[in-house]
Amino acid sequence: MRRPPLVLVLVAVLMIALGETAGALMSPFRSATDRYARARVTANAVAHGLTGSAEYDDEVRSRAVFAAEAGVSFFHTHAEGLAPVILLAGTIVASVVPGGAVRGVLYALLTVGALFPLGYVAYAVATLETGREAGVAFAERYVLTPLGSAAILALLGLVVVLARTTRSSPSE
Amino acid sequence: MTDGTWRLPPVPVLLVGVALIACAEVGGGSMAQFKLELARWARGIMLARPQVHGLVGVRDVDEQILDEALVKFDAGLRLFHLHAEGMGTIIIVTTMVASTLVPRPALRRAIVLLITLGGAVYPLGYLLWSGLIPFRGVAGGKTVAEWLVWIPFGGAAIVGMWLLTGAVAVRLIQSAAKRSQPAP
Repeated sequence: MRRPPLVLVLVAVLMIALGETAGALMSPFRSATDRYARARVTANAVAHGLTGSAEYDDEVRSRAVFAAEAGVSFFHTHAEGLAPVILLAGTIVASVVPGGAVRGVLYALLTVGALFPLGYVAYAVATLETGREAGVAFAERYVLTPLGSAAILALLGLVVVLARTTRSSPSE
Repeated sequence: MTDGTWRLPPVPVLLVGVALIACAEVGGGSMAQFKLELARWARGIMLARPQVHGLVGVRDVDEQILDEALVKFDAGLRLFHLHAEGMGTIIIVTTMVASTLVPRPALRRAIVLLITLGGAVYPLGYLLWSGLIPFRGVAGGKTVAEWLVWIPFGGAAIVGMWLLTGAVAVRLIQSAAKRSQPAP
C-alpha cells in the first residue's frame, strides 16, 4: 500500500496526539475546568441570559458547563476515531486513485476533514463565550459543518472513484 | 504528492494491536451477555464491605449508594471496551507511520515501544478500576488504577504520540527544504 502525502499524515498524527492528551487531561483537570467554565459564564452574563436569580442562574451555568465539557469529550473521541479513518482513506487514495488532479483534491479534502474534531473545541469555547445556543450554532455553522463536509465529500469522492475503477477493471 | 509505500510495524506489535481489539470485542460481548451476573457479583461484594462504601444500614440511602457504584462499575467495563477498540487501531496505524517515516532506528524503536506498551496496557486500567470498585469503592479503585496504569502507561502512549508527531513534522520540513533547493 502506498502512503499519502506527509501533510495528511502529520495532520492525522497530530489529531491523535491532541485527542489522547485532551482525554488524559479531562479527568484530573475536571474541577479546574468546571471553575473556569463557571467564571466565563458569569463574565458573559448577558450572552447566557443570567437574571440574578440564584436558582435559575445556577441551572443556566450548569447547562453551559455541561455543554463545554461535552465539547472537550467529543473532541477526544472524534480525534482518536477520525484520524485513523483519514489515514486509511488517504492510503486507499494513494494506492488506488489514478490521476494527479482527482487524487490531489481527495488529499486536500481529507486533510481539511481531519481537522473536524477541532470543531468541538470551538463548540466548547463558543458555548462559554457567546451562550449555549449561539455557541453551538456558531461552531456548527462555521467549523463543524465545513470541516465535516470536507471529510464526507472526500469519502464520497473516494467511493465514486473506487466504483468507477471496479467497473473499468471487472476481471481483477 | 505521494512518495513511497507503508512499511508494516514488527509482527509482535501487530499481534498486540489485534489482540487488544479482540479483547475489546470479547469484553463488549461478555458485558452484554453477563450483565446481570456481573452486577449481582459486584453488589454482593459491596454488601459484604459496608464500611468501604459508606453503607449505613438504611435501605433508601444504601440503595442509592449501591446504584451509583454499580453505574461506575458498568461504566468502567464500557470504557475498557471503547478504549481497547480505539487503542488497538491506533497502535497499528501509528506504529506503521513510525516504521515508515522515522529514519533513526533508536527513536523509531522508542516510539513504537512507547505507543505499543502504553496503548495496550492503558485500557486495562478501566478493567482494573471496574474490578476494584466493589472491593475499594469508586474513588479508592480509581486511585489505584490511576497510579498503576493510567498515568504511567497512558503517559507513555502520549509521549510516544508527541515524539511521532515531532518526527513527522521534522520529516515534512526536511522534505519541503529539499524540494525548494535548486537542482544542481
